[in-house]
Amino acid sequence: MREQLEKLKNETLTSIKSAGNVELLQDIRVRMLGRKGELTALMKGLGALSADERPIVGQLVNNVRDEIESALEAALAAAREQAKAERLKSERIDVTLPGRHASSGSKHPVSLIIEEVCEIFAGLGFAVAEGPEIEHDWYNFEALNFPPEHPARDMQDTFFVENNMLLRTHTSPVQIRTMLKQKPPLRIIAPGTVYRCDSDATHSPMFHQIEGLMVDSGITFGDLKGILTVFTNQLFGQKTGVRLRPSFFPFTEPSAEVDIACVICGGKGCRVCKNSGWLEILGAGMVDPEVYRHVNYDAENISGFAFGMGIERIAMLKYGINDMRLLFENDVRFLRQF
Amino acid sequence: MKVTYNWLKEYVDFDLSPDQLADLLTMLGLEVEAMDRLGEGFDDVVVALVEEKRQHPNADKLSLCRVNNGSEVLDVVCGAQNFKQGDMVALAQIGAVLPGDFKIKKSKIRGEESCGMLCSEKELGLADESAGIMILPGSGMVLGTPLFSALGLKDTLFEIGLTPNRADCLSAVGIAREIAAKLGLQVRYPDSAVVEGGEPVESVIGVVVEAADLCPRYAARFISGCKILPSPDWLVKRLNAIGIRSINNVVDITNLVMMELGQPLHAFDCDRLSGKRIVVRRAGEGEPFITLDGQQRALVSDDLVICDAERPVALAGVMGGLNSEIENTTTCILLESACFKPAAVRKTSKRLGLHTESSHRFERGIDIGGVARALDRAAALIVELAGGTMARGALDVYPGKCEPVSIPFRPERANSLIGVDLAREEILDILTRLECRIIEGAAGIVQVEPPSYRIDIEREIDLIEEVARLNGFDRIPASMPIARITSDRPSRHQQLEKRVRNILVDHGMNEIINFSFTDPGSAGKLMLCEDDPRRNAIRLSNPLVDEQSVMRTTLLPGLLETVARNINFRSLDLSLFEMRRVYMPSAGDDMPTEPIFIVGAMTGSRDGDGWSRPNESVDFYDAKGVVEALLELIGVKGASWLSDSVEPYYHPGKSCRIMAGRDQIGSVGEIHPTVQENFGIEKQVFCFELDFEKLLKNSKTGTSITAPSRFPDSTRDIAMLVPDSLQSDKVVECIKGVKAKEIEQIQIFDVYRGKGIPDGHASIAIRIRYRSYERTLTDDEINSIHKKITDSLINKLQVTLR
Repeated sequence: MREQLEKLKNETLTSIKSAGNVELLQDIRVRMLGRKGELTALMKGLGALSADERPIVGQLVNNVRDEIESALEAALAAAREQAKAERLKSERIDVTLPGRHASSGSKHPVSLIIEEVCEIFAGLGFAVAEGPEIEHDWYNFEALNFPPEHPARDMQDTFFVENNMLLRTHTSPVQIRTMLKQKPPLRIIAPGTVYRCDSDATHSPMFHQIEGLMVDSGITFGDLKGILTVFTNQLFGQKTGVRLRPSFFPFTEPSAEVDIACVICGGKGCRVCKNSGWLEILGAGMVDPEVYRHVNYDAENISGFAFGMGIERIAMLKYGINDMRLLFENDVRFLRQF
Repeated sequence: MKVTYNWLKEYVDFDLSPDQLADLLTMLGLEVEAMDRLGEGFDDVVVALVEEKRQHPNADKLSLCRVNNGSEVLDVVCGAQNFKQGDMVALAQIGAVLPGDFKIKKSKIRGEESCGMLCSEKELGLADESAGIMILPGSGMVLGTPLFSALGLKDTLFEIGLTPNRADCLSAVGIAREIAAKLGLQVRYPDSAVVEGGEPVESVIGVVVEAADLCPRYAARFISGCKILPSPDWLVKRLNAIGIRSINNVVDITNLVMMELGQPLHAFDCDRLSGKRIVVRRAGEGEPFITLDGQQRALVSDDLVICDAERPVALAGVMGGLNSEIENTTTCILLESACFKPAAVRKTSKRLGLHTESSHRFERGIDIGGVARALDRAAALIVELAGGTMARGALDVYPGKCEPVSIPFRPERANSLIGVDLAREEILDILTRLECRIIEGAAGIVQVEPPSYRIDIEREIDLIEEVARLNGFDRIPASMPIARITSDRPSRHQQLEKRVRNILVDHGMNEIINFSFTDPGSAGKLMLCEDDPRRNAIRLSNPLVDEQSVMRTTLLPGLLETVARNINFRSLDLSLFEMRRVYMPSAGDDMPTEPIFIVGAMTGSRDGDGWSRPNESVDFYDAKGVVEALLELIGVKGASWLSDSVEPYYHPGKSCRIMAGRDQIGSVGEIHPTVQENFGIEKQVFCFELDFEKLLKNSKTGTSITAPSRFPDSTRDIAMLVPDSLQSDKVVECIKGVKAKEIEQIQIFDVYRGKGIPDGHASIAIRIRYRSYERTLTDDEINSIHKKITDSLINKLQVTLR
């Protein structure tokens, strides 16, 4: 029995050594240690031995089994490692083929600019306000100090609708609506759609503006300059030159046009800035006392500023769009670039 | 407003280059929109002296000249004969480029070297024809000076974009005043001294102003014995430089003085006025009148007209009449200088679509105090250029003489509003430079009287603006405001709008923006019912084109047009959305409502052409899937999908209404093939439409979670044969109806039609996952629940299990 065991052990260990892959090793395990395995059969044969022999031989069988098992484990681990290494060596895919995902969507550039501008002003404590696009003359013009029959109305060609109403020509009526509802301190930003009845390569009958308004005590024109400098630097990059020059809007005084150093040529002069080195992007000014009178604010005790900008103009500058019509043609080859 | 550099120099002695001047004007609020350098590029054509002239040895018609350009003496061959030794001439030096891109090079002509060319006026573009070379007057000309400078032709034209408040700058003198104020210089006004003679004007003609409310001042002078002639060269050139065509001496003078002083003037042929009387009155309703341009006009009673004893002879402030126009035979002139009410002129000019230099100025308001000066200036020029005698005195009907306004002004208020710290003297000096009168008052308040031409200055704030402007916006330090903190969290509406946009974009959709106005025919293209409220759109009174004449009541037409346009450009796989307002009229005087809608469209293949998956077209479930994802992400729970009574623009069998609670929040479906054709689309399009306000109402933000069970699950599948009339939601409801709390999930994992399945039926496979929160379920327990479910499906829905 002893010799038989020893022989079995040696033969098994030899075949384990030469097996080389997981499947053969598993076969060996089954053949030796399985329920009908050779070693198992030997174990079963122990019952035929005498009571003296039984523990000794039993111990022996156990030892042999342990030895085979640990050899099997080691060989299996080695074979698995080997198989893994072979798999890693042989498996290769083309990583440059496109991955699987839903195609990417895009926000309209006008939405992108509105979001960005609102975000910059949110950081300065300005809340978003909105108002109707079909407006009364009073909010769009009169309360903003455009008297009837005033040439200033020529600055804004107006679409009219029934019931003496009109399509707002600017987002400024939101100033009036907000001031009528709220008392200072006030900081709002009002994005929205506006309409003017002209249409050519640089004008669209529908476009978008963002209006800003801040009213509090002790607000100065210098503060307007400060806020707009921070804003343009955030939108167009730090150190963008900003220039305010006198202008006229009925609802602000003093009024200013705000220019930034041309983002195309850096101020040296090019076709986009008509060789001036400056690009007009904003209108602004201190709120006119006449406007305060219309909303029952006391112009002696508060002051504030308002500003407005065209979204399309900013989008065109920021994204290098040279034709306004691209913004409303909705060609996906254009839209997918955003 | 156009003005030239040299012209401005006549009124104010500034020491600035054209570029510096342009910058100064722009920073004063007079934006220089364009500059045109006249005579630019001709610097190589210089004044030169012919020191020697002799015959060319090899050519009879040529001469050899020694020409001095101030720094050297050059040999030049010349073909002209009209000059002699000692003449001053125009020498185009080597390198000069003449009109027609004619480059002057060193050359040999018949064996003799020529270092330049002596030019004719034609060659320089100064005349259409010329007999020989240009002989310069010589006196005072310095050799080597560029010719255009020497002739005073070098100039810069500025085009200034004026804001409507600056009526005072619609003249060369007005702009000069601004330059003078900025630089602290004096303005020289043009000479307006008159030499009168003959009879007193009152004996020739009288003026009656009946409509004094529309004509606060009417002045006129009478000149007899004039000769209408072409204008002298200087006058033609000056007007041409600013784009005004020369007519004759008298008309040109009225135009010149208008451009000079800003006062529109009108000259009548006095012999053609009947009754020796001028009446300023309102027109009769329907009164006919032929303006200078030959157009017959029907007037209304709001129009102000200048009449003689019988009929209108001019449309006040807008245009003169053909019946009293200056002609070549005119000898007696009545020259009008008046002030008309801006609103009246504007109304007439707008109604007739007749915008003139004159109406432009009157609409904005002219200087009532400057009426007489302009009249005298023009009358004196007429006598100078057209001869004749000016009657003694001027007619001047000016009943309510305008007193200057006196504005209380606090210099410290200017500082605090602008955010500067200017000394009181500095501030008052600025106003003085603007020709304001300063009267010191009590308690630091000064009274300021602006000059009569500054009709825009009426209030303290107007003066503060002037201080900021003249001091320079660039000298105001930028500061950050000190403000009170306010709570400004975006509203739920704003948050949701942003969220919806983000979700749709993240689901691969491209956002579009279409015009808010649309074609009135688009309701018909959508096959909307006759009584559909969306057919009742708000109309524009003055649309640009008919296709943009009504405010849209639905976003779908724009979306479908966009689909069609993109398909035409061969972009075939589309997934588009738009989130915008629509415009619905309200009853009575209420404001229209402007609810936001969201629409989406999908067409083409699902993921574009790919290598790894079969190329499949999108269908109803892709559109529905985006909506489901959106609803889930914004917290709209328990939506139901009802296939009854859907919109007419959908395929009736492939569309549904979407309900959340009692609200219909939208719809989704395949576009009806007829509607598809109406929009020129040749393939299937799947759309959805959602009402933003209803989404907002049904969107629940809070979440309360249930802790996951710690016990194992077990699944059972059911496959059944169902008729097409039975929708899957009924099957799922039936399973839920068993009300076993052990049912964790019900999932439809296969729907099959085709081989082995009878027509009009589908095989639906459902997997049910069972799990308990209390313990591991035994097979017996699960089988018992599962049997209840299958029994219920068989008994209640009569399905056949497979």
